[in-house]
Amino acid sequence: MPLWFARGLRRGVVTTRYPARSDPSAASLPTPPAFRPRQLTLRTVDRMVAECPGTALSRVAETLVFDVGACTACGRCARVAPDAVAPSGEFELASTARPALIKLIPIRGGER
Amino acid sequence: MTAVEPHAAGGTRDQLVDTLAALGSMPAEHGGVPAIRVPLEALEQATQTAVSTPGVRLADMFAADDDVTVLRLVWACEADEPGFIVTETQIGGAEYPPLSGIAPAAFVEECEIYEQFGIRPAGGKPLNRLMRPPHAGAGPPTLGHGPAQPPEEVHAPHAVGGQAFEFPFGPVRQAGVESLYYGLVTSGEEVVDLYLFTWHKHRGVEWRLRGRTVPEAIFLAERAEGLSAVAVGWALAAAAEAAAGVTPPPAAARTRAVALELERLYNHAAATAALGQATGLSVGQAAAEIALERLLRVNAAAFGHRYLFGVIEPGGVSRAPDAEVLRRELPGAYDELRRTADALLRTNSFVDRLEACGILTAEQARRLGLVGPVARATGLATDARLAVAGAGAPYAGHGVNVVTAASGDVLGRFQVMLGEAAESVRLITRFLNEGTAAECVPLPVGAGTGLGWAESPRGEALAWVALDAGGRITRARLRPGSARNWRGFDDACRSRNVFTDIPIIEASFWLTVAGMAR
Amino acid sequence: MRPGPAEAVAAAGLREQIAAQFGRSLHIRTLDTGSCAACEQEIRLLAAPHYDLHRLGFFFTPAPRHADLLLVTGPMVRAFEVAARKTYEAMPRPKVVVATGACALGGVYQSDPFVHGEVDAVLPVDVWIPGCPPSPLALLQGLGVAVGRLAEKTPGLTFIDGGGA
Repeated sequence: MPLWFARGLRRGVVTTRYPARSDPSAASLPTPPAFRPRQLTLRTVDRMVAECPGTALSRVAETLVFDVGACTACGRCARVAPDAVAPSGEFELASTARPALIKLIPIRGGER
Repeated sequence: MTAVEPHAAGGTRDQLVDTLAALGSMPAEHGGVPAIRVPLEALEQATQTAVSTPGVRLADMFAADDDVTVLRLVWACEADEPGFIVTETQIGGAEYPPLSGIAPAAFVEECEIYEQFGIRPAGGKPLNRLMRPPHAGAGPPTLGHGPAQPPEEVHAPHAVGGQAFEFPFGPVRQAGVESLYYGLVTSGEEVVDLYLFTWHKHRGVEWRLRGRTVPEAIFLAERAEGLSAVAVGWALAAAAEAAAGVTPPPAAARTRAVALELERLYNHAAATAALGQATGLSVGQAAAEIALERLLRVNAAAFGHRYLFGVIEPGGVSRAPDAEVLRRELPGAYDELRRTADALLRTNSFVDRLEACGILTAEQARRLGLVGPVARATGLATDARLAVAGAGAPYAGHGVNVVTAASGDVLGRFQVMLGEAAESVRLITRFLNEGTAAECVPLPVGAGTGLGWAESPRGEALAWVALDAGGRITRARLRPGSARNWRGFDDACRSRNVFTDIPIIEASFWLTVAGMAR
Repeated sequence: MRPGPAEAVAAAGLREQIAAQFGRSLHIRTLDTGSCAACEQEIRLLAAPHYDLHRLGFFFTPAPRHADLLLVTGPMVRAFEVAARKTYEAMPRPKVVVATGACALGGVYQSDPFVHGEVDAVLPVDVWIPGCPPSPLALLQGLGVAVGRLAEKTPGLTFIDGGGA
């Protein structure tokens, strides 16, 4: 059909080169958080754990246990503690081992 | 296709409130929605009155177990000042008057209420299985006392000159679509009957919401029907706000509306792509998918999430759109959709498949209480954005042009969606000009009940919530647009269509299984 | 159904085999165990012009019999378990199971009378792809990892801002 053929030619190629090259659209994707251990206090972490609507965050003694697999990148933990949390920028998160998605973040900011 | 302003069709909401209140007790009000106590013996008459009032539609029916089972009916009044009325009836025993004889729009809810609360309409009419799997034994928990016997299940008669046979299809279907199990009754090519089962995906969201705080509930409600995350989240947030007696600041309400219109846009683009796929037009499908991808990237750039999760919060919104990015990127993305749609509508082989396919009449849509583009394509000017107060508030100053068609077929539904997409772009521009903000008012903690709504891409989404003194949910009712409209799919497929029309009709409805099986 | 040490050794051999057999052409069967439909929309976009998984040798197939890889979404609703097992068993070996999305990975629903809460509870998962929903780019990376074409990044990611403590 000449209508569609001409449209296709005019439209050009939109296909990404990913994974051979990076794709700029990735920059606006939501990503799981990265934490700053020195800004994490026990109390802040407990508030973040309470705010997390899923199961991604928990605390064991002085370690923040972060399950990246469970994370929905909702951003609530970052709103609780904006100084302690930043977007990681990582969206290539696939793993062949479930435990490799559980990250341990030391809490170095003390009690408060 | 015509864009019409809604017109008064007689029978105002206030008159109906007075009539119903005369049958029962004086109404309470939660967030602008009268709640009228109707005793059991007056329920049938109250339903009859409401159903025969012009411009009134049964929007939902659900139950709750307090000390006694309470049956609630939500009526949408679409004349004059559109809004809602809720009636509440205490059901002491195991039965209540058969309402689906008067209001066929109540049948699916009667089945649901029987499965969840064990109460059923008097008269012994068979009820269908909805949410509980047949092989479950005791099965998952119910919201109330549960039924004494499992539902009987009966579907339309199967014979066509004695020659029809039935085959089950699904739940695992073609790649990339949701699981859905349906029984297809056919005499060869023609669809004699089509009935749907969604229990294989039923997640029990309403059961899971009990005991949750409102923010936790919104997180789950967004993921009840992810393609209507803004609409369902907004409806639930609005219900909680009505229960607490607060309204979001106007700038936050406009932010919600911008997100909702973006949701409408990408869904309509996705439906266009699905129509291209269903009609075997790969190039048209691909062109629509380019538009869809561009719109999803606009969502990510403006609100930080391709599907707009996480925008709605109790009392307001968590983020405001990047207005500059939105103004810059949205016109091009919408233009891509519009040019693709124009080309599709000039492609005879495409239009021929859509015309006279999957016809629903206005009478069928009214009888079943259908909503959204499916209803508007039959000529009914029903749109939750017109309701004053609640989710209608940000739209009030801008006059939503409700797009309708007259044909009731797939083509009509497609044309309604295209008209709505244009209207969405216009509304977004106006909301941005008026200003949006990431604002929230805190919700005072306390007991209360409230109704909330929003016009999702697939029709009115409703939510009702009851909160305890600690602000936790004792009963949440989620009724996405899909939960209303799937019941129309059977009728649409039955009207002289063949197998290969089924995916086309499904694309034109653009519902989700998740919205039914929540 | 998490693998133990003996299975880990076998799994490494299987991964080499998978890379050899699937590295150039892979047929994918999708399986919705109770998703909200957003994951499905992202999966459908893999075949759309912006992403075009066909250029990488990946194809969707409607039949489990023809499939090499099962792409699973949703929290494994208990009522769906029979259909899930039948789909998996209908696939010939060697086969790969990829659980995708926060629901499938246990992040949204916990085990309760309605849902298992994660795909692992019923099917042996080989690759997990986080996201809510995972974007088509994330899905492409996950599929690349699943066929051994891309190295996974997660073992090296600490999610500590600034890289170190």
